[in-house]
Amino acid sequence: MSSSERVVQNSLKPGKWVRSTCKMCLHSCTNLIHVTDDGVVNKIEGDPSNPSNMGKLCPKGNAAIMRHYDPQRFKQPMKRTNPDKGPGVDPKWEPISWDEAFDICAREIGTSLKEDPRKILPSLEDFQKMHIWTWPLSFGNFNCFQSAGTICGGAYHPANGYIHASFASINDVKYCNYWINDGTGDGFSSHLHAAASSYHMANARVDRGMKVVTVEPRLSISGAKSEEWVPIKPATDRQFALSLCHVLINEGLCDWKFLKQDTNAPYLVGEDGLFVRNDKGDIWVWDAKEDKAKLWNDKTMGDFALTGEYEVAGQKCKPAFQRFKDILDDCSPEAMEKITTVPPDTVRHIAREFAEAAQIGATIEIDGRTLPLRPAAYNYYRGAQGRKKGMQANHSYKLVNFLVGNIDAPGGHLGVNLDEKTVDWLRCEPGECGMMKGEPHQLGVVPPMSYPPNEYHLLSYFPVGVNPPHLNLSVWKDPEQFGMDYKPDVMVICHSNPLWAMQGPREGWFDIMRNMRFIVCCDIIPTETTDFADVILPSSDVLETWNMTMIEPPFTEGQCLRQPAVEPLHDTKSEEEIFYELSERMGLVDSWNNVINMVLGFHQVPELMLEPGKKYTDKEIAERKGKLWNGKDLDWYIEHGHSSTWRQSKKSYRPWEGMRLLFYIEDMVTIREDLKVNMKEKGVPFIDQWPWDDYQPLPTPDLDPIHQEPPEYDLYGFFFKDIQMNFGESLSNPWIKDIVYRDPVHTSILLNSGTMQAKGLESGDIIRLESPHGGPIYGRVAGVETMHPDAVGVSNSLSRIRTENRAVRHAGGHFNDMLPYDLKNTDAVTGQPETACRVKITKVDDWPESLKQGGTVYQMVDEIAKGKGAH
Amino acid sequence: MARMGMVFDLKRCIGCNACVIGCKQENSLPDGVFFTKTLSEDYGVYPSVKRVYIPTLCNHCEDAPCEKVCPSGATYTRDDGIVMVDGEKCIGCGSCAVACPYDQRSQVSKDMLDRGLFGEGQLTDFEKQGYDRFTPGTVIKCDFCSNRVDAGLDPACVVTCPTNARIFGDFDDPDSKPNRVMRERGGGQAPLAEKNTKPKVYYIS
Repeated sequence: MSSSERVVQNSLKPGKWVRSTCKMCLHSCTNLIHVTDDGVVNKIEGDPSNPSNMGKLCPKGNAAIMRHYDPQRFKQPMKRTNPDKGPGVDPKWEPISWDEAFDICAREIGTSLKEDPRKILPSLEDFQKMHIWTWPLSFGNFNCFQSAGTICGGAYHPANGYIHASFASINDVKYCNYWINDGTGDGFSSHLHAAASSYHMANARVDRGMKVVTVEPRLSISGAKSEEWVPIKPATDRQFALSLCHVLINEGLCDWKFLKQDTNAPYLVGEDGLFVRNDKGDIWVWDAKEDKAKLWNDKTMGDFALTGEYEVAGQKCKPAFQRFKDILDDCSPEAMEKITTVPPDTVRHIAREFAEAAQIGATIEIDGRTLPLRPAAYNYYRGAQGRKKGMQANHSYKLVNFLVGNIDAPGGHLGVNLDEKTVDWLRCEPGECGMMKGEPHQLGVVPPMSYPPNEYHLLSYFPVGVNPPHLNLSVWKDPEQFGMDYKPDVMVICHSNPLWAMQGPREGWFDIMRNMRFIVCCDIIPTETTDFADVILPSSDVLETWNMTMIEPPFTEGQCLRQPAVEPLHDTKSEEEIFYELSERMGLVDSWNNVINMVLGFHQVPELMLEPGKKYTDKEIAERKGKLWNGKDLDWYIEHGHSSTWRQSKKSYRPWEGMRLLFYIEDMVTIREDLKVNMKEKGVPFIDQWPWDDYQPLPTPDLDPIHQEPPEYDLYGFFFKDIQMNFGESLSNPWIKDIVYRDPVHTSILLNSGTMQAKGLESGDIIRLESPHGGPIYGRVAGVETMHPDAVGVSNSLSRIRTENRAVRHAGGHFNDMLPYDLKNTDAVTGQPETACRVKITKVDDWPESLKQGGTVYQMVDEIAKGKGAH
Repeated sequence: MARMGMVFDLKRCIGCNACVIGCKQENSLPDGVFFTKTLSEDYGVYPSVKRVYIPTLCNHCEDAPCEKVCPSGATYTRDDGIVMVDGEKCIGCGSCAVACPYDQRSQVSKDMLDRGLFGEGQLTDFEKQGYDRFTPGTVIKCDFCSNRVDAGLDPACVVTCPTNARIFGDFDDPDSKPNRVMRERGGGQAPLAEKNTKPKVYYIS
């Protein structure tokens, strides 16, 4: 054998394959880890036995080895010796023993726990270990510095909870033939299980001829692979969706049977926005056949009226559907074009194609059930949901789907659960008057409203909110305005990088962190945030630990095992061990076990319950999760790797059969009124500043505040990721850098070439961007044809600041600095902040001094262009 | 005898570069070295603009100019059509890299091996177990993961590709996957036909 034919490919070298689960994003593709006889991890492949990712991995999943062997991994516990804290300031770490580290942390956190537990600001973001995330509940703390953040799905998750009783949602790749993607990478680049979604989507597109239409201001991968790209002005997607609804209703392109039988669209709504009820609480509807009012459950019902105006029980009222139709009178494609810039002809042809593809009236037999077949659906996520009026925005996209009757129908728009815990769990429960119970609290309950506020980020003021962490900064800057009667002084951070993720100026966030008495970070590599820590508790990584997880697989269900492929490389511990050690020293073991029992569902099976006084390992918790799912023990999971199967049709399709879906979300009225009463009773001084207009049971075309900023900020800035940077940390990874920084999309600030010319700029010019809320940031501009003329796009690859992590290249400031973090730009329903901003561009002659000191993205890009590597 | 080759399905490819990193980890490639790349190209004028993602690798040409110019016999074609480089015979003259019209060959430098993937001169255990395949100064390129092919497996880039945009097999076998997909969808040989190198890599759109 010549030298070139000896075994050089890593997967064929002598060794073993270990079944495990990826953690390069928060999802749970299963993989196979190849470990050589010498104990080196030298190849990671997708697991072909998993019907979700089918042996495939995304670029991040392929790059996991470089995370494991990152020379900058934290190798032992450390304490800070430099009291100065700041970006790029060396903490001067000193190695310490685990005992000393735990003792320091327990003492410092314990001081706040004794004084006032509210003074503890947690930031725990390990999505695959939700029990770690909820550790603060073991001392009744609902604070959240950054986790489950609004940059994700602040409005998306509550909206899915109302409509599907689910955490996420996706179009049904198995049957869908006409897929609209609005502001999302689903199926192409990001969000739910990127490798799995891309795999199934490609098959649908190529083998079945599915048509894809992508609505977004930048031609992303989804746009590039679509039959049609619809460029849209940022932050106007709601108005676009309403214009589609206008056409669908006015041209009669609706599933009337679905709307009448399966939704609350016929329920009569009074002028106060509430359903009209009799004295027993039953809701009135109108029988169009007999032209009289009847109760919702009247067996003599002839034909549910969807339109008209009536007087029932002494009240003027209209069916909920008519209320929507009234709103849509102002939402013609011509009227909405003035906001969205989408031509009316485009809206009309998409609406017509969509309705035609939906095959209204068609049925399909699946597992003995006759189900409506609706193979057309409107899908959306981050870019479309991240709006000031987030709940209304999300609701508007859902209503496009409602009109063609595709909610949870084969081919339509399906609810996706985060973790179903047990194999036979059906998520939907009956609510009032035949309706499905809306489940907006997908991540647990919101604490009762309090004044002075108990939660520093005001969580309890958002009746169906996910955490609004950006408000931590608003409150920090002006605590008196919000009546805050305490000041946080300790942070507990685990796998979370708030100084990278948060929106609002970095300086504000630095100020909060500089003023903490104590910060502990549990992490594996240095980040913007760990640079501010007082103690580092190094965790073992995904290749060294146990876990069992199911994180919103789009089309499948089942638990996925993580098991150690190798012994820990360094003196590190699992997150379970770390938090149990802290808990023990703080007297919290029993209460934390109670929290875990509830959060992971162990309370459902007595033999799985964690017992008082006992600490558990990552392995013991993983085994319980597997057993809870399907009764199989750890040996079974070690052999099979996962219990992933295609989702049972009873879960995917109309799991709410016999209940009516919430076309009209009456809750918006009741939670608004309850909150008003509550605020008045408690004498909340900011009641008059509260954005009460946000609570709408049906979405309106009212403009978000971003459209009312000073005109000098003439462009709309937004940021984006692609599949190489999907979710968390990527840019310290040499393989990811080697692809990201060779892609022109990720090396410049993107501007439509016509806009660039009009501003007298040329590609390569250095520009300064400012918004009314923050900045400036600097960057190199590139003119492209793939951007909306009113938009400025900044890749996440240009978002880092100078840190101790030598592998991460900083750019000219973080886009998020320019985003708003105030109440005015926050959805009063969900806490979702606006995630775009108005910007103005100025050409500058040279980089500012701070960017001339080396180590920037732009210098690296130039070096790559000269043929050097991406260091 | 066989004629191993690849078809790239441009309709499937999403330009994600999973293939590129899958290749890097399978072949322990030094920083900045690629056996495969995925390029992207925008065409048209706003709003009628499109982007195409174009995967590339060594075309394993039947009339391989790299093989013809190689003075040491290091570049050779296996019986199954895979164009190989024997690192022990390679004298590092670089003629092949110049001759390749597709820019698919890289010269390994001592510096890139010493510097390592993190650029700090400390090699990870992963690199230590992989770099012994490289001789500084010699030329390397994609060999369709020939060890894997010998073991009856597809190349690493093929198995990881999330959209199955890479279809690998034997063009001499009428029933092979690449032949079947070419029959169904049509398609053309890699560009630069005028070079007449007879690439065994095809593109379908």
